[in-house]
Amino acid sequence: MRPRVLPTFAALLGTLTLAACSGGGPAQAPAADAAATPEFSGTLSILTKFAGDPTDAYFENLAAEYQKKHPQVKVELIQETDQSVKDKLKTLTASDALPDIYFTWTGNWADNYIRGGRAADLTKVIGPDTEWGKTFSPGSLAAFARDGKNYGIPLYGNGKFMGYNKQAFEKAGVTVPAAFEDLIAACGPLRKAGYEPIAFGNKDGWPALHYLQQLFAYNVPQATLEADFVPETAKLADPGYVTSLNQFKTLVDQCTDTKSGTNGVLYTSAQEAFAGGKAAMYYQEILEFDNATSGKVKPDDFGIFPLPVPKNAAGDPAVLEGSPEGYLINAKSPRVALAVDFMKFATGLENAKVLSAPPYGQPSTVIGAVTPETSSKAVYEGVQLVNKAPKLAIWLDTVTVPEVADAWLAGGEALISGGTTAEKVLDSVRQASDAAK
Amino acid sequence: MRATLRRTLGLAWVVPALVLVGVFVYLPLVQNLQFSTLKWDIYSGSQEYVGLDNYARLVDDPVFWSALGNNVLYAVVSVGFQVLGALLLAALLDSVRSERWQRVLRAVYFIPSAISLTVAGLLFYFIYEPNLGPLNHALRAAGLDGLAQAWLGQESTAMPAIIAMSQWQGFGYSTLLFAVAIQRIPREIYGAAAIDGVGPVGRFFHVTVPLVREMTGLMAIVTISGAFQVFNEVMVMTAGGPNNSTQVLGTWLYRSGFVRNNFGYAAAIATVLFVITLGIAVAQLWAARRRRVEW
Repeated sequence: MRPRVLPTFAALLGTLTLAACSGGGPAQAPAADAAATPEFSGTLSILTKFAGDPTDAYFENLAAEYQKKHPQVKVELIQETDQSVKDKLKTLTASDALPDIYFTWTGNWADNYIRGGRAADLTKVIGPDTEWGKTFSPGSLAAFARDGKNYGIPLYGNGKFMGYNKQAFEKAGVTVPAAFEDLIAACGPLRKAGYEPIAFGNKDGWPALHYLQQLFAYNVPQATLEADFVPETAKLADPGYVTSLNQFKTLVDQCTDTKSGTNGVLYTSAQEAFAGGKAAMYYQEILEFDNATSGKVKPDDFGIFPLPVPKNAAGDPAVLEGSPEGYLINAKSPRVALAVDFMKFATGLENAKVLSAPPYGQPSTVIGAVTPETSSKAVYEGVQLVNKAPKLAIWLDTVTVPEVADAWLAGGEALISGGTTAEKVLDSVRQASDAAK
Repeated sequence: MRATLRRTLGLAWVVPALVLVGVFVYLPLVQNLQFSTLKWDIYSGSQEYVGLDNYARLVDDPVFWSALGNNVLYAVVSVGFQVLGALLLAALLDSVRSERWQRVLRAVYFIPSAISLTVAGLLFYFIYEPNLGPLNHALRAAGLDGLAQAWLGQESTAMPAIIAMSQWQGFGYSTLLFAVAIQRIPREIYGAAAIDGVGPVGRFFHVTVPLVREMTGLMAIVTISGAFQVFNEVMVMTAGGPNNSTQVLGTWLYRSGFVRNNFGYAAAIATVLFVITLGIAVAQLWAARRRRVEW
């Protein structure tokens, strides 16, 4: 056993230290004009979340094409993974060294950058009434809007659905459940037919949050929910929370094979159990659909439905969990107009179609990019349902402040392993919310 | 004059290293201390001085205490396995007559130490996997279905499972160091003890243990210090979950800063961690001075 953590943290802190030495905080730069004519020269830096195969090639190709069009521009890519981009962004933020264009989630994640004055106001160029803005689905654009201003460029959309194996349902004699209670009731026959009813892996904690957030949207009135995401207005007293937590626990205990041990299973193992035909259902994002049909389950045997609404739910039955992901432009960048031009190029219809098609399979938020010709049947269906939804429920781990999200995450894990009750989970979240005020 | 010049030149040679160490080691430590007194919003850049509030929060934070408890548990188990157990094994290896077998056995025990902690963590994650892991398969095959469980998925078993992996990884390294220390003991001492009628157990307690006490002290300090700086294996295997049951100071520090955005609070945890490891290092220096064995 050798010393490990201090050098690592010292290195990270070293970076932050240098930031602190430089005075800390963004200097108040004059607001850049996003609508100005760009000067096609210099280096444009972009931080993406597309590291790894196959997605890393997308921005590499975009950069190469853009440089061909504008030889005086050099595009510098910093490609990170879903996990590493979080640390990278926070370190660069603290060091006041954000690139010109950088990845963001919606919700509290994007809010922090907007609140801190680090995201350029793009209303003039991407507002809903602008030429560029009209090319995006309104919901995806609104997800990055704050106080009537537009800050983000949505790149691809996402939504959460229960994916199911049609053959398994047929064999077990069950139909697509109309209500949450029917979903639970279907688990017995599916198990008798030789399937794990629902594959589920919660090693990372967030898969449980996805179930919970959809159930909260069904069981808690929308206005209450929105107030509760903000520590200053949060009461977290609605009975819908406890109801949702108990429903989730019922699903874990009655519909998964791993039950209280689910925290020890990776979500990718659950993915494989479904794709391999061992499980009848798996709650998944649109981004996972093509993977679900890469094994024994063929595209024609794969169906989707939103998590069924519990009977007598007090929330909004039409809300669907999902959220676009996109990019912000550094408000302090001296190349805001050039950054806008690059992102216009990246979100043009042709490039958006490329992004939506295999091997990338990221359903673009650009209207007309996802078609039955470019995407798989399930992806197309999922995107249509997301677009039709009157409101999207943003992921629980990005919609609220990190301390509260972390309390939900720990609570979800404790609930699964049987170490606590729904009431105690809610109480711990309430404490975290109070501390975050 | 010449001596003064030589001294001055000598100092000049040392200055670059001192500057580097100062800038990259001591300045961050001082800055960390400063950060721990701030409520720092990295987004707006505002830094509000809060005095010792972050330290007061530590006292009331149950996760901090459970993380510290996990570090202590780690240290206790590690001293048992990687100091006492490794010393015993090294003595057993030393008693193997065949030099060839000695070398083979040493290599067998040392191989896990050559594997990086991250790789070892991933390897054991799959060994512990409840559905596909070989551990549960072996238990079921032996008719012990009741013992098969989600080792890393339950609060009661996750930390012991990580500690077990860590012992497997570090045990061979300690054994090798003890084996080298035992080999340095002059064989005549063992011969004299044997002539006096002292058996193998007696020779272990009356010859081996006293004459390797310098190494034992050093290993105890290094092991305890390492136990407080655990990070990689926990991060890879559970990331501190489920329900924060496997958090150690290192992972809680990371989570507080880079997940929960409380950089001031994370700096306070780092300060506590620094004080603990500094204390251990001072103890190590003091012990090293006292434990010199000569023959």
